[in-house]
Amino acid sequence: MARYFPSDRWFDLMRFLLKRLGFYGVAFLVAATFNFMIPRMLPGNPADIMLANSGGMIAPEARDALMATFGFIDAPLHEQYFAYLGSIFTWDFGLSIKFYPMPVADVLMQALPWTLFLTGSALLISFSIGTLLGILAAWRRGQLTDVIASPTALALQSVPAVVVALCGLYFLAVQNRVFPTSYAFNPSLDPAWNWEFISSVLYHGFLPVVTLSVVLIGGYLITMRNNMIGQLGEDYLAMAEAKGLSDARVRYAYAARNALLPSVTALALSFGALFGGSLITEVVFNYPGVGNLLYLGIVGRDFPLIQGQLLIMTLAMLLANFAVDLAYVFLDPRLKRA
Amino acid sequence: MSDLLRTFLRNRKAAIGLTIVLIYVAIAIFAPLIAPFDPVARVGRPHQAPSAEHWLGTTRMGRDVFSQLIWGTRTSLMVGIVAGLIVTAIGTAIGITAAYFGGWVDDILNFLTNVVLVLPQLPLLLVLAAFLGQVGPWAIALIIGLTSWAWGARVTRAQAMSLKTRDFIQASAMIGEPNWRMILVEMLPNLLSIIGFNFIGSVIFTIITEATLEFLGLGSPLATSWGTMLYNAQTASAIMVGAWWEVLAPCAAIVLIGIGLSLMNFGVDEIANPRMRTLGNVAKTLRIEKRLTRQRMQEANQ
Repeated sequence: MARYFPSDRWFDLMRFLLKRLGFYGVAFLVAATFNFMIPRMLPGNPADIMLANSGGMIAPEARDALMATFGFIDAPLHEQYFAYLGSIFTWDFGLSIKFYPMPVADVLMQALPWTLFLTGSALLISFSIGTLLGILAAWRRGQLTDVIASPTALALQSVPAVVVALCGLYFLAVQNRVFPTSYAFNPSLDPAWNWEFISSVLYHGFLPVVTLSVVLIGGYLITMRNNMIGQLGEDYLAMAEAKGLSDARVRYAYAARNALLPSVTALALSFGALFGGSLITEVVFNYPGVGNLLYLGIVGRDFPLIQGQLLIMTLAMLLANFAVDLAYVFLDPRLKRA
Repeated sequence: MSDLLRTFLRNRKAAIGLTIVLIYVAIAIFAPLIAPFDPVARVGRPHQAPSAEHWLGTTRMGRDVFSQLIWGTRTSLMVGIVAGLIVTAIGTAIGITAAYFGGWVDDILNFLTNVVLVLPQLPLLLVLAAFLGQVGPWAIALIIGLTSWAWGARVTRAQAMSLKTRDFIQASAMIGEPNWRMILVEMLPNLLSIIGFNFIGSVIFTIITEATLEFLGLGSPLATSWGTMLYNAQTASAIMVGAWWEVLAPCAAIVLIGIGLSLMNFGVDEIANPRMRTLGNVAKTLRIEKRLTRQRMQEANQ
C-alpha cells in the first residue's frame, strides 16, 4: 500500500491553484497589451481626438499629460509599454475627460459596487433557480416541468439582453408605471443604511436584476439538465434507490451532487454573458454601474475611462473565474480531502 | 450526406427551426420585392401608429418600420452568416489542429483559446469599435468573426480528442496516411455535427451581438439593420413617447430568428447525442411504456 500523506494532497491543491493564478496573470497581461496596442494600431492618436472633441474644456497644456496616460511618451515602443504596465499596477489610469478632473480609478470605484450588486444578485438568482429547474426537468423527463421549462429555457437562451431590457422597460416601467425607468435609487435620498434607502435601492434594482436573470437562466437550466441526464443511468443511483433512500435524497444528494461539477465549470464560461448582459441592462435602465460608464465613455470619447474600464472588467472576469476554481476545489471530492 | 439531411428533417424541432430560418432567408433575398417603401425615405408623418398603409407604423423620421424590418433582415442575416463562417473556420481549424497534433502544438493553441475565453468579450468589442469609429455591417461581421472563435475551438478540440482514440483513426494512421488526409478525410466528416452546431450557434451569437453593438451607437447610422433600428428608436426616445412599434418590431424579429436557429441546433444536438432527446420523443416513449405496463397488468389480473 502506498503511503499517502495528507500534505501531498495539499501540495497538489496548491499547485493547481498556483497554476490557475499564473494563467490568469498571463491572461491579464494579454488584455493589458491589447489595450496598449489598440490606440497605436489605429490612425490618429486619442489625445488629439479628445482635444479636438473637448471644445476647449481641456487646456492644450494638458496634452502632454494625456499623451502620457496612453504611454505615448517620448521613448521607444518597449519603454512606452513598460511605462504603461507600471501605471496599471500603481492603479493609475489617468484623468477622466467626461468627469474631468476626476481620476479614472475614482470614477470606476464609485460605479463598481452597483455593478457587483447587479451581477451578483442576478447570478445568484438565475444559477440557483436554473439549476434547480434543470434537476427537476431531467428527473421528470417528458413530464410537465420538463415540457414547460426546457423549451422556454431554450427560447430564452436566444433572446438578447437588449430585447429583454427594452421590453421590461416598456411594459413594466413606461406602459404600467410599476417600476422606475432609471437610476439606482431615488435621487432625492441620501445614501444611508436605513430602510428607506435600502428599499429604494431594491425597488430600482428590481427590473435590472430580473432582466439579467432572465437572460442567464436558460443557459444554466439546459446545462444542468444535460448533466443530470448524463448521470441518470449510473449504477450508484440504482444502488441508492435499492437501499430504500427517499426519491428526493437520491435526486439531490446523489445525482445532482455529481451533476453539479460540470455545471460549475460551465458557470465560468457564462461570465462573458453576465458582464456583457449587465452592460446592456445598465445602459437601458440608466443604472450607474461600470457598464453604463463604459457607454458614456465611448459616447463622450473619453479614452482614459474606456481603457481603465476594460482593465477593470478583465480583472473582474478573472477574479470570477478564480472563484469558480475555488468552488471546484470544494465540490470535487478528489481535491477536497486536502 | 442525404441520409444526414433526412435524419435532420425527421427531427421535428429541427424541421420547425429550419422552416423559420428559410422564411427569413426568403425575406432577405426578396427584400426589394416585399418592402412597400424605401427604408430610408420619409414616407409618412413621424411616429404614426400601425395602420393599413404602414403595417408597423413609422419612425420619428417618418420612415416605414415594416420596410426597415424587411431590409434589416438582409443586413442582419448576411452579417450573421459571414461572421458565423469566419468563427467556424477558425474554431474548427484550431480545434482539430490542437487535438490531432497534440504535444506542444496543443499546449500553445489550447492556452491561446483559454486566454481568449476569459477575456470580457462585449466590452472588448465595444472598445475596438469605439476606436475604429462608427463602422459598417461588414466591419462588424469581421470583428465579431475574428474574436469569437474560442468557444468553438474548445468544443471541437474536445470532440476531436475523443475521435482520435477510435480504432479506424488509429488504423488509418498506422497505414501511413498523410496528415492532411487524416484531418480532412478521416476526422473532419466525423465532426460535422459539432461543426454545424458551432456554426448555427455563432450565427445566433453574431446577430445578437451586432444588434447590441449597433444599439449602443457603434454601427454606421447609414446602414439599415435591426440594431440601427433599435438605436434610432432609443435616440428618438420611442419607448418614452409610447411608439412601441418602433422598438418591439426589431425585438420580435431578433427573438424569432434566434428561436428558429436554436431549434435547429437542438435538433443537431439530439441527433448527435440521442440521450439528450427531449419532450415529444421522451413523452411518447413514456406513454407507450405506461400503456404496455397497464396492458400487462390487466392480462396478469385476468
